[in-house]
Amino acid sequence: MAGSVPAIQVDNLTVSYGPVPALLDISLSIPAGQLVGVIGPNGSGKSTLIKAILGFVKPDVGTVQLFGEDVSRAKGRVAYVPQRGSVDWDFPVTVREVALMGRYGNKRWWQDMSRNDYALADRALEQVRMSEFSKRQIGQLSGGQQQRVFMARALAQDADILLLDEPFAGVDAATERSILDVLTRARQSGKTMVVVHHDLETAAEYFDALILLKQRLYAYGTPEQVLNAELLSEVYEGKLRVFAALAGEPIDQVLEDARSSVLSKNKNGDVS
Amino acid sequence: MMEWLTEIHQGQGHLIKPLIVGTLVSLVCSIVGCFIILRRLSFLSDAIAHAMLAGVVGGYLLMKLAFGVEAHVGAMLLGALLAGVITVALVSFVTGASRIKQDTAIGIMYTGIFAIGAFAISMKALGKHIHIDIYHFIVGSVITVGNPELWIAGIVAAIVIPLVIMFYRELQLTSFDPVMAASIGMPVLAVDYMLTGMTSLVVVSGVRIAGVILVVALIITPAASAYLLFDKLSRMIVASAAIGVGCFWGGFWLARVAGASPGPAIVITGTGFFMLTLVFAPHYGLLADWRRRLHAVPQEIKEDVLGSVLRSDEEWVPLTQVMRNVSSPRPLVRSAIGSLIRQDLLDQENGKVKLTMQGRREARRLLRAHRIWETYLDHMGTPARELHGQAHKLEHLNDERTIDYLDDKLGHPLTDPHGSEIPEDFVDFEELEEVRASLLRKGNRAEVIRIEEAARGSGLHAGMTVSTEPRSSDGQTWTLVTDDGRQVQLAHHQADAVFVKLIQVDQKP
Repeated sequence: MAGSVPAIQVDNLTVSYGPVPALLDISLSIPAGQLVGVIGPNGSGKSTLIKAILGFVKPDVGTVQLFGEDVSRAKGRVAYVPQRGSVDWDFPVTVREVALMGRYGNKRWWQDMSRNDYALADRALEQVRMSEFSKRQIGQLSGGQQQRVFMARALAQDADILLLDEPFAGVDAATERSILDVLTRARQSGKTMVVVHHDLETAAEYFDALILLKQRLYAYGTPEQVLNAELLSEVYEGKLRVFAALAGEPIDQVLEDARSSVLSKNKNGDVS
Repeated sequence: MMEWLTEIHQGQGHLIKPLIVGTLVSLVCSIVGCFIILRRLSFLSDAIAHAMLAGVVGGYLLMKLAFGVEAHVGAMLLGALLAGVITVALVSFVTGASRIKQDTAIGIMYTGIFAIGAFAISMKALGKHIHIDIYHFIVGSVITVGNPELWIAGIVAAIVIPLVIMFYRELQLTSFDPVMAASIGMPVLAVDYMLTGMTSLVVVSGVRIAGVILVVALIITPAASAYLLFDKLSRMIVASAAIGVGCFWGGFWLARVAGASPGPAIVITGTGFFMLTLVFAPHYGLLADWRRRLHAVPQEIKEDVLGSVLRSDEEWVPLTQVMRNVSSPRPLVRSAIGSLIRQDLLDQENGKVKLTMQGRREARRLLRAHRIWETYLDHMGTPARELHGQAHKLEHLNDERTIDYLDDKLGHPLTDPHGSEIPEDFVDFEELEEVRASLLRKGNRAEVIRIEEAARGSGLHAGMTVSTEPRSSDGQTWTLVTDDGRQVQLAHHQADAVFVKLIQVDQKP
């Protein structure tokens, strides 16, 4: 164990594609072994944060450190489950081959995949109950099964940090359970996980801590701290109904609260 | 065809070089083509090919004006390579530095560079120095290849094939998921450069076969055919190489027979093969698609067939009996049975069918849906004689969430209104699964994992093993027996608050 060194340390991170910043001055520190959810409206930079932690996008300003090491030198410590929409499902690749990709990071380019690598890939498929589909092309699976294949790839990678981009979007109940199950087991074995999540209703139930994002970091803390009406109304604006249902309050009351909170908000409203 | 091969063998030695060059070139083109179509770079490879005209003219003029050498093939091909690389560099510069998208950037840059070549040829001051047949480069001419082309084809093959084999994983993963590739430290950008470098190389070697306009067909058409045929990249590459070489030989022969130019003939063969694949490919072809649609059977009929086999008293059920019990048109029932056999849910022998293990599970899952719907309808006050018919329609709404919800609302009934047993939950209810104690039935053994508020003080605690007694007071009270013999009684809401791991589940056969 790395002791007090945080698993993920982000300092003053700013990332932009073109003139508008996708992320602005984000600083946060995630201790090892936590299961952290990232919430925020569409286009709020959630996926960009994941890609920055992966080292895939270069920050304009700021640094990302994994276990005290700059992300560019910490390759292979992070496994990643992509958003379903970003995968080419027609790519000629089978379920087993995708799981095996999890082992690529442990090999130099001249080394062949060993029997052990295949065994680890197969075991990962077993853990997500996809063994019987290992010869299928990935496009010939249901949405939930596709999600589980990429979970298996991340497991085969055996990284210390797992990043998941909307794993629960559009999956069936069985897959949701099996993903949660895998996440819980991964946390028990000391892994740190950051999960982009869209469903505010389940956010409190699933995660140890939440990051509320909309370009800037609006809040980072326990679900109770983050899921408060004032903050959410500020970030989600048009989506008040969602948390009205969440808070179990009548929508009129929530709208009223939100209006007064927006009017009285001080510009420097960072909460953490 | 045979005579023609003997003809080459005896005395037609001038065909040996074109055939070797053509074979090597179509091999490398179709191998690299696999990555090009998967990365959607077809247009870029076309652009590289066109831009090469400027490089050819440049190389020609340089050797002619500086050294007085006429039509130096090496310089022209090197010029072509350079022009290709410059095109790619300019395209990535424009897309990176501005909001212009890649297809537009490609369109601008390759026409611009092609035009430089065309401009130079048409200039009086330069044009008078140009005596080579630029036509060879525009439509290609494999017949006239000589030693330089042979060398180039050999060198390109010696570079490209080992690179693809050595860096197969890198090429595969950066094409499939560049984000992951970067996260495990693969040099994504370097692999991109390697691929565009290889593309320029194969285009240069292919230009002499098919010309700048048609060379892209040597690259992408065999790969596209292979893509429709195979589900694994490694197989697709081997197939693409075989198709590419096959189409070269076929086209070459076609050109000889028809007395035509080989370049277009090779491309026609490739396109023809692609059209055949498009129609006849076993999985992704139009015919397969059409057949699948033809054989598509409504899910409802399949479920009815499973139900009728399960309800029968015999293990092997005669087909005639199934036909009688399922009230749908016979041909549809017959294709439903065929489809269930293919899905491995039914076995068939001598005109009789039997449920497989998986089929039995599926059928019991449907039976559970049916009986829970009946119980629910009964609960809602539906008249008894309408129960079965209504439930029969509703049982096709059998997704886990709906059924589990109804099951919970009804207090996990054990029997339906007719007194038949309702099969238990099939998704969670397996050994080592964690479920709420309310799902437990007589005889099940389980270990208590955790207890929520509602069941605190019931005498259960985490870690103890319990077995289940029959439910009492009209199915409203759950009775668990702990390992030290104590009986614990729980109401529905309390049983819901106890989470257990199943140790022993006697699933009925």
